[in-house]
Amino acid sequence: MLRMTTADRMTAVVLFVLGVAMAAGGWTMDRLEIRQIHPASIPGLVPIILGILLAVCAIFLWRSTLQTTEAENEQVMADGSWLRLVLTGGICVLYALVLVGALPFIWATAAFVFGFTLIFSWPDRKNKLVAVAVSLLFGIGISYGISALFEHAFLVRLP
Amino acid sequence: MSGLIDLGNALWTLLTPITLFHVAWSMLLGIFVGSLPGLTATMGVALLTTLTYSMDRDTAILVLLCMYVGAIYGGSRSAILLNIPGTPASAATALDGYPLARSGRGRYAMGLATAGSMIGTLVAIVMLVMIAPPLAEAAISFGSFEFFWLAVFGVVISGQLTADNKPLKGYIAGILGLMVAMVGSEGIHAHVRFSFGFNDLNAGIALIPAMVGAFGFAEVLTAMWNRRGVLAVTEDKSDRSLPRLIDLWRYKFVCIRSGIIGTLVGIIPGVGEDIGAWASYAAARKTSEEPEKYGKGSQEGLIAAETGNSAVVPGSLIPAITLAVPGSASAAVLIAAFFIHGIRPGPLIMIEQPEFISTIAAMLILATIAMGIYGLSLTRAFIQVLKVPYAYLMPVVFVLCVIGTYALSQRIFDVWIMVFFGIAGFLLRQMKYPMAPLVLGIILGDLLDKSLRRGLTLSDGDLTPFFTRPVSACFVALIVLSILFNLPFLRRAVLRLFRRRGQDA
Repeated sequence: MLRMTTADRMTAVVLFVLGVAMAAGGWTMDRLEIRQIHPASIPGLVPIILGILLAVCAIFLWRSTLQTTEAENEQVMADGSWLRLVLTGGICVLYALVLVGALPFIWATAAFVFGFTLIFSWPDRKNKLVAVAVSLLFGIGISYGISALFEHAFLVRLP
Repeated sequence: MSGLIDLGNALWTLLTPITLFHVAWSMLLGIFVGSLPGLTATMGVALLTTLTYSMDRDTAILVLLCMYVGAIYGGSRSAILLNIPGTPASAATALDGYPLARSGRGRYAMGLATAGSMIGTLVAIVMLVMIAPPLAEAAISFGSFEFFWLAVFGVVISGQLTADNKPLKGYIAGILGLMVAMVGSEGIHAHVRFSFGFNDLNAGIALIPAMVGAFGFAEVLTAMWNRRGVLAVTEDKSDRSLPRLIDLWRYKFVCIRSGIIGTLVGIIPGVGEDIGAWASYAAARKTSEEPEKYGKGSQEGLIAAETGNSAVVPGSLIPAITLAVPGSASAAVLIAAFFIHGIRPGPLIMIEQPEFISTIAAMLILATIAMGIYGLSLTRAFIQVLKVPYAYLMPVVFVLCVIGTYALSQRIFDVWIMVFFGIAGFLLRQMKYPMAPLVLGIILGDLLDKSLRRGLTLSDGDLTPFFTRPVSACFVALIVLSILFNLPFLRRAVLRLFRRRGQDA
């Protein structure tokens, strides 16, 4: 299982790289000399400072992992269900990034709500046919209700 | 006195049937959102903001405030009955509320929580009316130098106070938020930064999609990941839910002190209701005559926590309205909503819209009354609400996250931003990075960037005015001291230095 010190060290490396990249990005950014701006107001100034600060914080974060005692070194993401997380993340990302835009909103939403509800109510329902019927009705009802609300009440052109 | 007259006038103007209707539904929705573990106040306000685009200014602000007040209060329901705070703000409430419910006094505990929340909000409304106008006037004299340090102060203090055990993680979250704000066209020369050739990034990353992701989608993932609690099944033996006046009178000092502490915590940028509740709870415990009862069903502890977290709501609006610096994560969304509805929060608010602060106070009073009515009359109904299965609730929340962010500017790119911030927010939260400084960084990034470069241009590149102007110097001192005493090795170094000096002397 992933321990907090390991997670912190991995994050520290990512943050350090991000900080250096940001500082480098700020340093190489156009200084708009052609527009004769004041040299102290170059657009890259704050990104340089933030990049350096993040890199310094990343070093401190790494250092802090060296002083962590065994009692403080708790497990990361240990107290939950990976299956539920992966299923939730997968369905939600599929809906938001693929279905919305590819299908009319009302159908994409009906499919998503039906799928989500069915998967997570499946273990609790003894009669599986009822689970499918309830999820289907719920999916269509919610999809129609939300679509109508945004389209007619808030005048949003749905994706 | 004139403040009270303005407040009376604002209240009178608001008392129309349609306003009361809006208060009624939005408060009910707020309490519903707050009661359900997994739905937070910030998420509720962010999602509701996306539903207010077509409303007029006052109605939109009113429903958002009712959602905010209702959700913070509603969190106490599940804290008392399930031992799971409906929102992080109610974590301290659970300590004494749940034992009271287990001993069969759940309804009375909810009544006490309602009374505490009402008193807390009212104390903070009085402070809002008293503090906000002079603060706005004082802030008119702020220049770029002061605003720069104010932004730094906000991120540092928020990072420090909201981090679980390592302030460093709070600082990192704050810096990440500031970095997000660096993307897109900057405010002085309109130069586009870090867009990597994506035209959609030219305008920067909008706050609402980022917040809906960090507080909406991330909450959906967290809720599905965690296990749910068990309802306090003991038969309820409370004879009443209306708190006895003698109980409230006994705790009058606790109520007022917790209200003041909550308001002051609210004023500190980015430090939210949870800290307000813990600070009030700790203060009450320290001065209590029966501290041994705390954590085992103390009525005093329950009232202190609930008064403290509710007082943060009006408190957090004080800097949000007068300085455009949010006092809590939910207040950050409210600032975004203010801009969407044509209100420009900041020091000029007292000149441009002098009636605005009284209007907000009047709205909060209406919200408090509605909270009291619902809180004392619907205790049984809320128990049913807590039984809504996640399988049905969470897909609806996520659909609202998607369509709400899309509706803001009708582009799919915002939905991608929401998904990115949802996943990043979930991972960061699992690794104990607080979300409030991240949000504060996003909202203060522009102010910090513009103030620093404008200040440097004014002083011709000279850094001295950043340290010598009186208000700037105070901010610098506060920031340096708070950082010094929270980085362990620096703290040890400072202590060693003092010890050595003591020995030399």
